[in-house]
Amino acid sequence: MIEFLQSARSYLPILLDGVAITVGLTVAALVLSTALGLLWALMRYSGIGPLVLISKGIVNGVRGIPILVQLFYIYFVLPEFGIDLTAFQAGAIGLGIAYSCYMAENFRAGLEAIDKGQIEAAQSIGMSWGLMMRRVILPQAVRTVLPPYGNTMIMLLKDTSQASVITVAELTMKGQQIATSTFDNITVYTLVALLYLALSVPLIVLASFLERRFAAR
Amino acid sequence: MIRLENLHKRFGALEVLKGIDARIEEGEVVCLIGASGSGKSTLLRCINGLETYEAGRITVGDRLVDRASPQIREIRTAVTMVFQRFNLFPHRTALENVVEGPIYVKGVPRAEAEERGRALLDRIGLAAKADAFPGALSGGQQQRVAIARALAMDPEAILFDEPTSALDPELVGEVLSAMRDLADSGMTMLVVTHEMSFAREMGDRVLFMDGGLIVEEGPARQVLTEPKHERTQDFLRRVLER
Repeated sequence: MIEFLQSARSYLPILLDGVAITVGLTVAALVLSTALGLLWALMRYSGIGPLVLISKGIVNGVRGIPILVQLFYIYFVLPEFGIDLTAFQAGAIGLGIAYSCYMAENFRAGLEAIDKGQIEAAQSIGMSWGLMMRRVILPQAVRTVLPPYGNTMIMLLKDTSQASVITVAELTMKGQQIATSTFDNITVYTLVALLYLALSVPLIVLASFLERRFAAR
Repeated sequence: MIRLENLHKRFGALEVLKGIDARIEEGEVVCLIGASGSGKSTLLRCINGLETYEAGRITVGDRLVDRASPQIREIRTAVTMVFQRFNLFPHRTALENVVEGPIYVKGVPRAEAEERGRALLDRIGLAAKADAFPGALSGGQQQRVAIARALAMDPEAILFDEPTSALDPELVGEVLSAMRDLADSGMTMLVVTHEMSFAREMGDRVLFMDGGLIVEEGPARQVLTEPKHERTQDFLRRVLER
């Protein structure tokens, strides 16, 4: 145990660098995937033929490709078309796009759960589509969407580890690097696992706080 | 004020409205009766632009009701609707439901809208429930809030789509009395209803619909007590025997 703590003390600073990258990547991908996911869901919900088709195409297309392959594609293939991204940018964009599809499905479920009478009531007092979404539909959809949204957020945090394959120096990669040079696999991967857990807990707390906050009414 | 000319509406192969001609004048209370499936609600929803129609025309004042035109929003603020299932916004209080349209659609300053909103809630006897959420109100109270919400838009007319059909029998009276109060104040009202007593007492005119057509129309007392058309007689006999 003493030995574990001593090793941990020397590994932790390096691993914490990885934690910073992991958190940054999670936040960037979360913002992007939420914005895009909302866009796909609203396009689908709009009922306008071409928009529905585009949204369905993107969501089903992207969901059908492994995240690893998407990351490889963005990092290794796009430069051949003159789009050069840093590993972090490629990771954030790749995860953001991949997760936007899961987000879109969460949002769509929330939107479709709303009684059609709400749309009619909003229209009957002359609301425009945008105003109706903002004042009537989205505030109600938030309640249904929060539990799966919290779940997706935690999945995203853990999936940032996949960005290690395109050289993003996040937590998992830092762990791997230390493990291969020290052979201290037990200590390193125990620490890595505990750090991911420590990162997930605040997200779980946040998600349940938001759920309570919006369910209050 | 509201004019329907040769209105046709179909859902796929089913023709629901087969050429409706009708006029509702300013200040009139017109009751629309008929068996379910006769097209009453669809007719009402066409006037508010909640449904499209295939042929004919609907005008409100000098404005054509066309769901595809941006003007439809202006018409909807002029002709608001009260629904069978109330359709209050569940995430907003009674007062917020009432002031939502004035503030966000018409741009009335909040303080002014809320003062007016409280006055409207007071008028329907729910001043004490201003801060209650719809889920905490009875069906009758919810429907009265919905009436206040429609009124808050300062409409030229209000359409009622079976406003008491989803209510427990003991709650029907309070909603009808709110509507009676409205009719007495000179509001133009088109009411789809199964409440024959309301139609007889408050209706200036009654339109009887059957199979997508207006089969008979006339002063309320005459249509309801001495119907000329056989189908009207049948319908009334069935309704009154209930």
